[in-house]
Amino acid sequence: MDGGGGGGGCCPTMDLMRSEPMHLVQLIIPIESAHRTVSYLGDLGLLQFKDLNADKSPFQRTYANQIKKCGEMARKLRFIKEQMGKADLLPSTKPATPTIELDYLEIKLEEIEAELIEVNANNERLQRSYSELKEYMLVLQKAGESFYSAQSSAAAQQREIEAQYTNDGSIDSPLLLEQEMMTEPSKQVKLGFVSGLVPKEKSMAFERILFRATRGNMFLKQIPIEEPVTDPVSGEQVEKNVFIVFYSGERAKAKTLKICEAFGANRYPFMEDIGKQMHMIDEVTRKLSELKTTIDMGLLHRNSLLRKISEQFEEWDLLVRMEKSIYHTLNMLSIDVTRKCLVAEGWSPIYAANQIQDALRRATIDSNSQVGSIFQILHTKEMPPTYFRINKFTSAFQEIVDAYGVARYQEANPGVYTIVTFPFLFAIMFGDWGHGLCLLLATLYYIIKEKKLSSQKLGDITEMTFGGRYVIMMMALFSIYTGLVYNEFFSVTFNLFGPSAYACRDASCGDASTAGLIKVRDAYPFGLDPIWHGSRSELPFLNSLKMKMSILIGVAQMNLGIVLSYFNALFFRNGLNVWYQFIPQLIFLNSLFGYLSVLIIVKWCTGSKADLYHVMIYMFLSPTDELGENQLFVGQRELQLVLLLLALVSVPWMLLPKPFLERKQHQERLQGQAYTALRSDDIDSIEMDANHDSHGHEEFEFSEVFVHQLIHTIEFVLGAVSNTASYLRLWALSLAHSELSSVFYEKVLLLAWGFNNVFILIIGIIVFLFATVGVLLVMETLSAFLHALRLHWVEFQNKFYEGDGYKFYPFSFTSLGEDE
Amino acid sequence: MGFWVTTLIFILIGVVASLSARLCFNRGPSTNLFHLTLIITATVCCWMMWAIVYLAQMKPLIVPILNEE
Repeated sequence: MDGGGGGGGCCPTMDLMRSEPMHLVQLIIPIESAHRTVSYLGDLGLLQFKDLNADKSPFQRTYANQIKKCGEMARKLRFIKEQMGKADLLPSTKPATPTIELDYLEIKLEEIEAELIEVNANNERLQRSYSELKEYMLVLQKAGESFYSAQSSAAAQQREIEAQYTNDGSIDSPLLLEQEMMTEPSKQVKLGFVSGLVPKEKSMAFERILFRATRGNMFLKQIPIEEPVTDPVSGEQVEKNVFIVFYSGERAKAKTLKICEAFGANRYPFMEDIGKQMHMIDEVTRKLSELKTTIDMGLLHRNSLLRKISEQFEEWDLLVRMEKSIYHTLNMLSIDVTRKCLVAEGWSPIYAANQIQDALRRATIDSNSQVGSIFQILHTKEMPPTYFRINKFTSAFQEIVDAYGVARYQEANPGVYTIVTFPFLFAIMFGDWGHGLCLLLATLYYIIKEKKLSSQKLGDITEMTFGGRYVIMMMALFSIYTGLVYNEFFSVTFNLFGPSAYACRDASCGDASTAGLIKVRDAYPFGLDPIWHGSRSELPFLNSLKMKMSILIGVAQMNLGIVLSYFNALFFRNGLNVWYQFIPQLIFLNSLFGYLSVLIIVKWCTGSKADLYHVMIYMFLSPTDELGENQLFVGQRELQLVLLLLALVSVPWMLLPKPFLERKQHQERLQGQAYTALRSDDIDSIEMDANHDSHGHEEFEFSEVFVHQLIHTIEFVLGAVSNTASYLRLWALSLAHSELSSVFYEKVLLLAWGFNNVFILIIGIIVFLFATVGVLLVMETLSAFLHALRLHWVEFQNKFYEGDGYKFYPFSFTSLGEDE
Repeated sequence: MGFWVTTLIFILIGVVASLSARLCFNRGPSTNLFHLTLIITATVCCWMMWAIVYLAQMKPLIVPILNEE
């Protein structure tokens, strides 16, 4: 049913059906034009170089030095970019084609880096002395305010201690001492002091340690600063206290200084004399303003330098990356020292041969080379890479296929049908045209903003949905269609295509909820009859319909897969696969499940009450029995017998002949080879080697081939049953979707409506919106997507798809950005 | 509208779509065949879905029984 897209034989070519024909080419490039040639080929982007020096380490290769140089330049560029990031400058994103020379750029980058480092070092030094001065200023101000009061209380304390001391020393002269002190206090107490700043969180510990170290013989005054201060050493913002410590004696001084150092407290000199203080404050203020202007000038200079760089940054970055990739490629070529040329081998599509030759010619002319490059095609038995010419629409679908496995060279690509069948299967599980419209709007936003978004860097999930925007668009379009067929719009039905086909039995309509309605017209012309919605028999009817639909669609898709295996066999001229694989497979599947599909349709058309389960089960258990009331058409028993026999015959047909015939073919080929070897006496040794090699490759292990065929057959026979059952997920998911959406509609929106309260209604609407978007539009989309994916990867593709190829990665400058 | 009329409409839509794709995006025989394949597959899929639902409702064994409310 679905096979209409085959295109009538495999002879006319179709885009995307087969990967591009490739050939292995050899280029012999004179060394003086090698760089330019590779660069032109990179612009063209249609040649995948083979690594001819795979045994050499990166350091042994010809252009290791140049790569190191490029790596160094890339490092400098990263440094510059980091600096620009700190200065909040973004490189301008104009797409530039590099016009400058690499050597010139190298010198320039060297200069810029040196200048930036110097500017940074200067700036750092200035910044440091600036914050030192700032701290000093704080000490001068804060300590100045409370120095004298602190000094006097410190002196008082000292006197007290000394008094105690002398009291202890002599009992005779307390009065005298007191007198003395009254008269000459300053002479008695000669206190030293240290001032500075200490981090606030350390201040308590600082005080305690000082106290212990001097045995209480000190006085500490701390004044908190409201705003955090820049620490000169670390450059960070720290909350600090200004402190003044008074002590007496040299030893106490040494201890205090050590403790200050240990606590990271910066000390600043402080004058006792008020005049000197004022003078000092003036001087520091002046210096501060001087430093400020110097720093600002420095920053301005740096920013203008960086701004100038930022205009060209992208260009330089691109140039360095291009050069690096060119040298990487050159390193893959093998060098011929005597002949002064490089030999390259690589895969390219056959259609690109002229373009490559043209690029070679241009490179020869542009680099004034005496000798041109040589282009020749090599013949090899190696499997070429798989290359599809895709566009922005087909690429996402091809990626779905490639995620399972890259197509073998030139085998039929399921991607062609995936473009339609994937969104279609998705839509069967997601049939609701309201939800479909929401998806369509969301994806249209991406498609309209495509140009802008594709140049931007997006988040992981956004990136993924953006990449699949055309897949989602197709999914949305098909969901709108299937939604119309299911007649669901956010689980609400409409009489879009005329009145219902059912009506009451009589005018009173009394038995509408017991015996049900009767059919009065032809079936509803498009989609489900709206009368089913909300009726008591809705679920039994929908279940029966969706289950049968899943089987019909599944059988159709599996048949399409088997038909594609026929086109593959035709394409590779493999008659064995047509006769001993394709035909028995087709017969087996259709004599069982094709027959089931026919029965389903016949049952619908005739309105028979036959039990299809019973028919299918007794077709195997007792095929010769009379069908009785389960008979759908005349001659059904005989037909079933024939089909059963066909299915039974097709199993050994799949299993046995192919391995034996393959062995026979192999033996014939061997004999043929022996004859030719005898006939031509003058084969040179190289050709002999080649023959031996190919012979070694085709060693025929009969047991292996037979086991492989056995596995294949078992897989197909069991798969026919399990894959058909697997398609029932279409029914399950579609049922879940419609039930969920009707629950959200009835139990949230209608319930909230029933309260006749605006507040409750608003809450109901909000809950409904979140449930619809979160559960139905996001989660259900994801699960339906995954199930559609599985149906394609397993049930569809295992009928024909090998998927053991490898992708074509041409050397191209356009894909440079994605590498990093 | 019967089964065959609507089927004819589907065929017509398919033919019109194929022709307009051929006229509007003529990019060489291989691409045209690709477009044709896509359109035919899409039409067949849509027709199948409709046909299944239509056939299932032609002679139903179950009739709608309304909820008593």
